Amino acid sequence: MTNKARILVVDDEPQIAEMISVALQAHGYAVSVAYDGEQGVKRAGEEKFDLAIMDIQMPGMDGITALGEMKKIDPEIEVIIATGHGTMGTAIQSMRKGAFDYLHKPFEIKELLSVVGKALEKRKFNDITKAIFSTIKPEELLRVTIDSVTRILKAEESLLVLPDKDGRLRVAISEGLEEEAHLNSRLALCERMMGRLDGGAKSVILVDEPAKDKTFADLPGIGEIKCALFLPLMEENRTAGLININRTQEGEYFTEDDLQRAKIFGSLVNLALRNSNLYRQLQETQSQLIQAEKMSALGQLAGGLAHEINNPLSGILGLTQLVLENLPPASQNYTDLKDIEKAVFRCKKIIVSLLSFARQEKTHMEPVSINETIEETLTLCARQMELKSVRIARQFAQGLPMVNGDSQQLMQVFLNLFTNARDAMPEGGELTVETRLLKDPSGREMIMAAVSDTGTGIKPEILDSVFDPFFTTKPVGKGTGLGLSVCLGIINKHNGAIKARSRPGGGSTFTISLPV
Amino acid sequence: MKKILLVDDEELVRNYVLRALSSRGWEISAVDNGAAALAMLGRKDFDAVICDLKMPDMRGEEVIKRIRAVFPAMKIIAITGSVSNSSTPLVPGVELEGFLIKHFGIDEIRNLMERVL
Repeated sequence: MTNKARILVVDDEPQIAEMISVALQAHGYAVSVAYDGEQGVKRAGEEKFDLAIMDIQMPGMDGITALGEMKKIDPEIEVIIATGHGTMGTAIQSMRKGAFDYLHKPFEIKELLSVVGKALEKRKFNDITKAIFSTIKPEELLRVTIDSVTRILKAEESLLVLPDKDGRLRVAISEGLEEEAHLNSRLALCERMMGRLDGGAKSVILVDEPAKDKTFADLPGIGEIKCALFLPLMEENRTAGLININRTQEGEYFTEDDLQRAKIFGSLVNLALRNSNLYRQLQETQSQLIQAEKMSALGQLAGGLAHEINNPLSGILGLTQLVLENLPPASQNYTDLKDIEKAVFRCKKIIVSLLSFARQEKTHMEPVSINETIEETLTLCARQMELKSVRIARQFAQGLPMVNGDSQQLMQVFLNLFTNARDAMPEGGELTVETRLLKDPSGREMIMAAVSDTGTGIKPEILDSVFDPFFTTKPVGKGTGLGLSVCLGIINKHNGAIKARSRPGGGSTFTISLPV
Repeated sequence: MKKILLVDDEELVRNYVLRALSSRGWEISAVDNGAAALAMLGRKDFDAVICDLKMPDMRGEEVIKRIRAVFPAMKIIAITGSVSNSSTPLVPGVELEGFLIKHFGIDEIRNLMERVL
């Protein structure tokens, strides 16, 4: 919406139409005039108006019919009905048809301006609501939000602060604040305010001259703020962020009306943010589902494919080796066939991993040595660890009793944990594997195996989700999101438990306990 | 001379196993299905049977069970595409003398036969 609101005056009496339009023009509005209902409706179809002021008694199409027609053409237009023969009946009828308000003729200009102001305000709010709710992408939503709030509250500056991934408050977006120093002082102000809120659910907080308020007095660079408004952004009943709106002009204090607007705006933004979050979650769920679908299709394909390819590959390998036997090792043919043999071994490796991926195994329980199982698994991935500069530290307790388990499946669990640990240390680090004999609270003996890395760690907010099926922080194609949920499934089948501990930057530890 | 019967539906496999083993002095015959294998065993004495488990007509497991029932002393080696779980028997109820995982090399099969025979 432009600054100049566009108003259409519809009245069959030219003098009245003239009077209204002069008064409105004098107050900065852009005014057009129509002299009957049909003409008014036609104009509304040709041009976009914010507001129409319509006489009710007109020859031809009357005001109430014209109101209905206009709303059909432009549902957003606000209409004020003017009636000379003021019966409550027509007024009610017009309100039912969607008029914003009505004026009894003769009315004073002051009265007219007040109703027009209110109608335009409503219009502005509707426009903003529409803008906010039709924006679903988080980045755009923040821009729309901050633009709107600055306009609604006629402020010189505003900013929206949200915590970053480490939990530190950051300016997500701002308006009217270009200088670094200004942004920093406002951010400090918001931090202080967040601390003061402490989860208390207030919808709007007004601080006049924060530099003179003892809560904020020590903060540098906020002297020019004449009054500050804060709108908390709520997420599941806690304050997740803050919108700060400031006026810096002398004497321009926020009014009770402004506070009311801010309150409504705040709840709108909170709803919109929640929508936007839900939208993001929906998108994530969708891509996880697609990934799961892909996996299961790939699994089926892989199983069939592997078996089909196995036979010809056996032939290639065997025949190659037979020819090799009869060739002098110094010949070119010998070298070439050796390369073919190596290529077959590579294919073999790929097929073995495809098959293990496609397989749905039954559990086969037998006495298993945990230390041995871990050692075998470490052998499998020793080379990979070396390539990623990951050192392996073994802290095995000796003389551990056997556990009843499926060694293949337990190997799968450890392999998963080791692979995750490796991926958490892209720059290298240390993988520590510890085993111990413990007693659980009821006195039962358990074997505990802990796998620790010195990697990036897991954010506290997702620590609870790491065992959820399809939960993954790895990019599409890298992780299936099933690794840890499969581990959990296997450990549950063994009547054991698996737990994750981590702090960001401090590495992660996965602890498995299995009954002896 | 020890006699070996190879049962595999894949010609390529029969081809190289045949040559890999005969060049080591074993007498080896090959057939491409279970029924032919049983017929062959009825006609001629063998010391060992190498049998693919995955064949289109009669499944390898069935062939092996029948051979074991008729010739309890026969050395039987199974060829399998993959071992799903090393602890589950390849052919339930039948004790095998050995197994080969595709794709095995000529040394693998020679060494295994050396051990078995």
